[in-house]
Amino acid sequence: MEVMNFRSLIIFSAFLRVLLIVYGEWQDTHMEVRYTDVDYLVFSDAAALVVVGKSPYKRSTYRYSPLIAFILTPNSFIHRSWGKFLFSASDLLVGYFIRAILKLRGVPENLTIYSLLVWLFNPFTFTIGTRGNCEPIICAIILWIIICIMRGNLFQGAVWYGLVVHMRIYPIIYALPIVLTLDPNHFQRGKKPTTVDWNSRQHKSNETSNRLWVFFQSIFTRSRILFGLISATVFFFCTGIFFYLYEWEFLHEALLYHLTRTDPRHNFSIYFYHIYLNYEREFAVLEKLISFLPQLIVQIVLVFRFAQDFPFCFFVQTVAFVAFNKVITAQYFVWFFCLLPLILPWSKMKLKWEGILCVLVWIGAQTHWLFWGYMLEFKGNQVFLQLWAASLLFFAANIYVMITIIRRHTYSPVFKRLVTSRTKKTT
Amino acid sequence: MEYQGFRVLLHLRLGIMLTLLAGITYCKHAPASFSELFRRHKYITEAYFQKHETLIDRAFQDFISSELSHVFCGKQNFMPKLSVMQRQLIGEGSHRRLTSSVKIEIQPEVISSLSCEAIVIERLPSGVFADPFELEHLTGRGVFSGASAFGDTDLELPTVRANRSVVEVHVDLSPNSLSGNKNSWELKIEIPLHARYAPLGKHGYTRVEFESPDLFVHCVDEGDTLNQSCIFSSTDEGVRTSPHAIVWEVPSGIVKHTKIVSVLTFIAAVVGALSVFMACIFYSEVSVYNGTKQS
Repeated sequence: MEVMNFRSLIIFSAFLRVLLIVYGEWQDTHMEVRYTDVDYLVFSDAAALVVVGKSPYKRSTYRYSPLIAFILTPNSFIHRSWGKFLFSASDLLVGYFIRAILKLRGVPENLTIYSLLVWLFNPFTFTIGTRGNCEPIICAIILWIIICIMRGNLFQGAVWYGLVVHMRIYPIIYALPIVLTLDPNHFQRGKKPTTVDWNSRQHKSNETSNRLWVFFQSIFTRSRILFGLISATVFFFCTGIFFYLYEWEFLHEALLYHLTRTDPRHNFSIYFYHIYLNYEREFAVLEKLISFLPQLIVQIVLVFRFAQDFPFCFFVQTVAFVAFNKVITAQYFVWFFCLLPLILPWSKMKLKWEGILCVLVWIGAQTHWLFWGYMLEFKGNQVFLQLWAASLLFFAANIYVMITIIRRHTYSPVFKRLVTSRTKKTT
Repeated sequence: MEYQGFRVLLHLRLGIMLTLLAGITYCKHAPASFSELFRRHKYITEAYFQKHETLIDRAFQDFISSELSHVFCGKQNFMPKLSVMQRQLIGEGSHRRLTSSVKIEIQPEVISSLSCEAIVIERLPSGVFADPFELEHLTGRGVFSGASAFGDTDLELPTVRANRSVVEVHVDLSPNSLSGNKNSWELKIEIPLHARYAPLGKHGYTRVEFESPDLFVHCVDEGDTLNQSCIFSSTDEGVRTSPHAIVWEVPSGIVKHTKIVSVLTFIAAVVGALSVFMACIFYSEVSVYNGTKQS
């Protein structure tokens, strides 16, 4: 049964976003509580500073690449909502890319539309762009990188990958699965990679997940080396240019801050109260390493298990990265929401009732945390212990949902093994 | 003898005249140096932070008394009476509003020739801060004619890492906003404030106490070609302030929770990691034994 065709879906989604942007302008002007995210005001102020030739880092709490300020400079001379329209357009582009990826993998149209609904009509996602958050741009770039890899456009994929890691550090976690995917059996000189069709997902694939020994045998292949070199060059080029322009302020605010951030203020992370209680003394290097260990173990095991099914690998890695991180804010959820539609067609989970249970558990745990957060921040009650317990519960909910998705997933490597001339000779 | 007495008298008169001349010159220049302050800085506190790195109450009071001793405006000889009628902290939680009801009594006849503004300076205790961007937003909406925060305005630092800050608010005193019998202004000034993360304690709350604000009336004589300004301070005349201290109880972490929280956090992280690890291991076994035969 066709729900809606893709064109109508995009038009309706665009209309919804325009409406929300217009409503947001009204709310900002007429109500005490703003619709616009405070980050958008930070971007706009930083962009206004760039327009007059100053450093965007003169705006306190601007902790992004100067590129965000550059692309928002029209806020100063076209309209202050230019950025929101740009981010919402990226949001729609994510929808377009999701469809492109699912089509490349042979997913039928109706299943594609259902998957798209999960992104385009998710309240988390359509509010994020319209409120002025820049995450949709990052999501669009990551999906474009997936498309480039699937089409064999490795040079382009590497350039965008270097750029996206410069803009937001977290995509560095995708480096290892990308390298593993650039397997010489999938990528050969002069040949486009062949994707596995969705219809053959039930068949046991020729690929085994235990390719570690193969990986280490042929770790340095042309495509892997080139991808690594090109993306690293782009990353260091961007870092170099902006360091030349804005010096240590850029390096500290845009890069080092994110690597060393320990925020004692309450957030969804299980670590927030531990950080607050220990804030008055510096953490020892050993303590920092030990606290990073669970994150590291999870990332490694997920990568080596699922790398060949790299959209799924990206998804579970991102969920794990967010769940085990020292700081979690609501905007981080968009990082995996943009990847969720890419894995749904391969899930054996039905909406009734397993899917609904996962949604309810995740939202329920989050709402429970928000209740205690409200009691602390807006009622001034001493509920740190209860809020921390709520963060443990939310963490448990994330682990439960992640494990359920893993167990109900049909592992499906993206690429087919290419027949090489060497193979031909032996047959 | 008579000649020597005459000489002493002459020197005495000369000395007195010179002293008077020096005094008149000083008086003539005192308003100029004070007007200079307002020509160079929009805010009094800005001038303070040009000379000092952090807020020290004693240094600030000395600064006020040395730079802002009141000067009469031209030929006018008047003294407004400044008083803070009521102080309150409104709201709950980490975001509240500090309100001050201020009364400024002035002779009606001098109002027409002067353009005045009320200046309220709140020296915030450590543990709370004001958001300069929020104050800018309020100024843009016309709530104040000017408002800014100075000192440590980092929005994210907890109390143990932050220095104190100062909020300065300017409100225009127009003849139209005079109350009742046209000889006083009554203003209600509301400043939005936010609590920083408090130092750890034993009882779960930290007390943050507010001092009285510094209140000024700054006037410019519109008829004066030199455009000199004069200022009246609340320290000059007796200022009535609310007898009750304003206290904000900020929730704080409890030290004795440290060990149990750290241990349980790490156990949770390890259990979570192991669960994901096991799910991945068991997943691979399921797909090997339940899949179709390899072609």
